[in-house]
Amino acid sequence: MSEFVVELDHVWKEYPLQRDRPGFKEYFVNIHKFMKRKGEENSHFYALRDLTLKIARGECVGIIGENGAGKSTLLSLMLGTIFPSRGDVKVMDRVTPLLELGGGFHPDMTGRENVILNGVLLGFTKGDVLKKMSSIIDFSEIGEFVDLPVRTYSSGMYLRLAFSVAIHTDPKILIIDEVLSVGDERFQRKSKEAMLNLIKGGVTTIFVSHQMVAVKEICNRAIWLDGGEIKAEGEPEKVVDEYLRH
Amino acid sequence: MEFFNRNHKRDIDLLWLLTHKEITLQYKRTSLGILWSLLNPLLLALVFYIAFTIVLRFQMKDFSLFLLSALFPWTWFSNAVSASTVSLIANKSLIKKFPFPKHFLLSAGVISQGIHFLFSLPIIACLVYYYGKTAGAIWLIGIPLLLIIQFIITMGASLAVSVINVYFMDFQFIVAFLLTMLFWLTPIVYPFDTVPETYRLLFLYLNPLTPLMSSWRELFMFNAIHWSWITISILGSIVIFCVGLLIFKKLSKRVDEVI
Repeated sequence: MSEFVVELDHVWKEYPLQRDRPGFKEYFVNIHKFMKRKGEENSHFYALRDLTLKIARGECVGIIGENGAGKSTLLSLMLGTIFPSRGDVKVMDRVTPLLELGGGFHPDMTGRENVILNGVLLGFTKGDVLKKMSSIIDFSEIGEFVDLPVRTYSSGMYLRLAFSVAIHTDPKILIIDEVLSVGDERFQRKSKEAMLNLIKGGVTTIFVSHQMVAVKEICNRAIWLDGGEIKAEGEPEKVVDEYLRH
Repeated sequence: MEFFNRNHKRDIDLLWLLTHKEITLQYKRTSLGILWSLLNPLLLALVFYIAFTIVLRFQMKDFSLFLLSALFPWTWFSNAVSASTVSLIANKSLIKKFPFPKHFLLSAGVISQGIHFLFSLPIIACLVYYYGKTAGAIWLIGIPLLLIIQFIITMGASLAVSVINVYFMDFQFIVAFLLTMLFWLTPIVYPFDTVPETYRLLFLYLNPLTPLMSSWRELFMFNAIHWSWITISILGSIVIFCVGLLIFKKLSKRVDEVI
């Protein structure tokens, strides 16, 4: 009866181990290597290995694991900014990322211009964004600064504006990468509250965090990723405890 | 993976916003602003005038119109292609954060340079009248037609160079050289007629910019459209676009792994 909005089917994601772009010389000297890239197991690093995962509408899934376990790769795959090397990723609804907030802002554009560009990049028409403009500005509390170039902002203002855009875009699937701390203490409480409201309101949430308390508190399922594979999955209490003991 | 809520309105908005961003940011915080896009080719034309007319003493009729009628469209092509070379890397923060078609970044660059080119048309029109010629009604067919052909050629080249440069950083220097080479192997500072008979077919068929630039000049100087040139450049533009698109499609899915 529950409807799946995210489905990953035997997904692999590989990265070339030599992350520096090869120059022409290296390319031609090693052309045989580049041609049969699949054959060379050890020149590649698998960020995800044969991952199968289904997320139902309205679920809040916490993803935990050590650095380099593949958590961010998994989020990017769901977001659609990267593609699996093998396997299939299906996402049935609009994904709103709360990752590296403000990464899409251009310092020389004003706050308002950036909000519009950001909103459209998140999948909205310019008209939609303009309708929400005043509530976005209100929530971010940046006031008149909205018409100044973003480079004049403090880092707190920057994050507040970016956060405000993301939560005002009527998220269907929310992807959160450890951003519970936005701005000063008061704004942190406010942003956390806004997020919790969304989650309680039935928005499907995928939540990557190192704050185990938060995972236990918010999520109704936890997944422990280790070396690109699911090591444990289920009740947040159980999975978190297992992870902490390990 | 298909992006779910894709609608055309949003795509058009995104393309326009990215184009607008290109146009406004390129000359932001400069005092002359967008005038630079006209000033650059004009200053270049002055240099050629000194070199060819004063120093080498070539006799060329209506030299500044002759030169600028091909130099302005060339500038569009050249600026767009060199901007595209680094476009994906320059916009990597957007590419990594938002799922949107990457080719929009390139279209935005090509369109914004095209808009700069449109601003140069009044200058060309002034020169036409300065030399006692007139602008014919044929401009109304010729300009849009040539704009479309040039957009397709430029887009094809941009698609290819942008994605190749992500894998081979050396490529941007090769592109810079290729553009200089192409500039001298395309009839821009010299008329097509001066190309020796034996090489003419090579010039015409191997380099679709030859018929294109010659057509712009033909249109502005003689109010004429040379249909065989148009045909060749259309065919050339289709070939370049398809090859560019193929390379882009093949390579762009793995861009995230190296960017």
